[in-house]
Amino acid sequence: MTSPYSLLAELTYRCPLQCPYCSNPLQLRNYTQELDTETWKRVFREAADLGVVQVHLSGGEPLARTDLVELVQEARDCDLYSHLSTSAAIGDESTFGRLREAGLDAVQISLQDSQPGSNDWIAGFGCFDKKERAVREARRLGFAVTLNVVLHRHNLSRLEEIIDLAANWDADRVELAHTQYTGWAFQNRAALLPSREQVEQAEEIVAAARNRLGRRPDMVHVLPDYFQDLPKACLGGWGNVMLTVAPDGAVLPCQTAREIPDLEFPNCKDHSLEDIWFHSDVFTRFRGTDWLPEPCRSCERKELDFGGCRCQAFLVTGDVAATDPVCHLSPMRFLIDAALQEADAAAGEFEYRTMSGTSQ
Amino acid sequence: METRPRFHYPKLVSHARYRWDKRREQHQLVFPEGVLVLNATAASIVQLLDGRRLVDLVAELNHRGPTGDVEGDVHEFIERLADKGLLCEGDVP
Repeated sequence: MTSPYSLLAELTYRCPLQCPYCSNPLQLRNYTQELDTETWKRVFREAADLGVVQVHLSGGEPLARTDLVELVQEARDCDLYSHLSTSAAIGDESTFGRLREAGLDAVQISLQDSQPGSNDWIAGFGCFDKKERAVREARRLGFAVTLNVVLHRHNLSRLEEIIDLAANWDADRVELAHTQYTGWAFQNRAALLPSREQVEQAEEIVAAARNRLGRRPDMVHVLPDYFQDLPKACLGGWGNVMLTVAPDGAVLPCQTAREIPDLEFPNCKDHSLEDIWFHSDVFTRFRGTDWLPEPCRSCERKELDFGGCRCQAFLVTGDVAATDPVCHLSPMRFLIDAALQEADAAAGEFEYRTMSGTSQ
Repeated sequence: METRPRFHYPKLVSHARYRWDKRREQHQLVFPEGVLVLNATAASIVQLLDGRRLVDLVAELNHRGPTGDVEGDVHEFIERLADKGLLCEGDVP
């Protein structure tokens, strides 16, 4: 059994943005207690001892933590490579400079759309101008900057403009990731799923942009699995390369696994990360390939996708141990096709993510 | 065939970091998108990518003890890192 390479540290679920595809849990009001500074520092030390190389400081909005600089410093002291995933919607002129000084290695800034109006509409919060300033400031300080853009029905028609904006802002990298339908995105699935035509055009637009712009920005295009017939190895396999610590200290194999009601998540306040990683029921249950059902068990791709995403299996089929329904060999694939048809017929209204949780 | 080196003062970009992984007992070069596991030769080269002259880097490695085609190894490895965008030209003194 191997050690994890990365830790997703969800420092807080608090966030001024209300993106309708947020990967945070729907019932945010159930998780308002946050780990204190000392506990997070201990988590970083335990993670480093366990073999973690990279820590992703995320949320919610990690800049909402007033101890962020101190936590970055601790990550550096533990020799962890630190990334910050931020909306850049809060913070002031000096924020990135102080983080740089504390030893932050890389910055990822989210972008909702290429136009200020539609960006702020999707985010449910005025933040476009702050993002541009933040990207330019982070670049000036010498950070490698990735722009993360979640793609869906409402921004795909501006994909070319989004890429050009990333080039214009001098981002090193732009991650063009189609929405993964878990968490709030699953709640808003019918409003967010694009048309097949949009997805096909997106591939052409990215290919053309690579030809036109060359190597900068580096473009990563994460394809939407609903439109494909093979599942993804979710996060490199369950309990295989990464772990998530949620704001309240729950330790999760992935950040959306908390949506699966029959799993119990140990807390880092009660157990060491090492103990949780190697011995907890929740981490060992779907690790590797021994637990796989058919048709996965006899499939030649089982070491590549490990049966796909557990959250997706649960959300779509109701069975957490089922084959990912995206797979063309899954007997439940018809549920994905039905969702695609439903989305094509839907008007496309979404519900914003709110701290009080979903109204449905 | 003689190829001109892309960098005369090769230096790791600031977002790439060399580290020794105690748990796995391996040399690593870490950058935003991943981790490159280095063999001993590559690790000794990486630790000298601090903006010194390329010829001095090769001389330093040769001085430590000749192990085959040092210059060839250095050029090949530097090309690989450059392709990944992990190198820049250091400040020319």
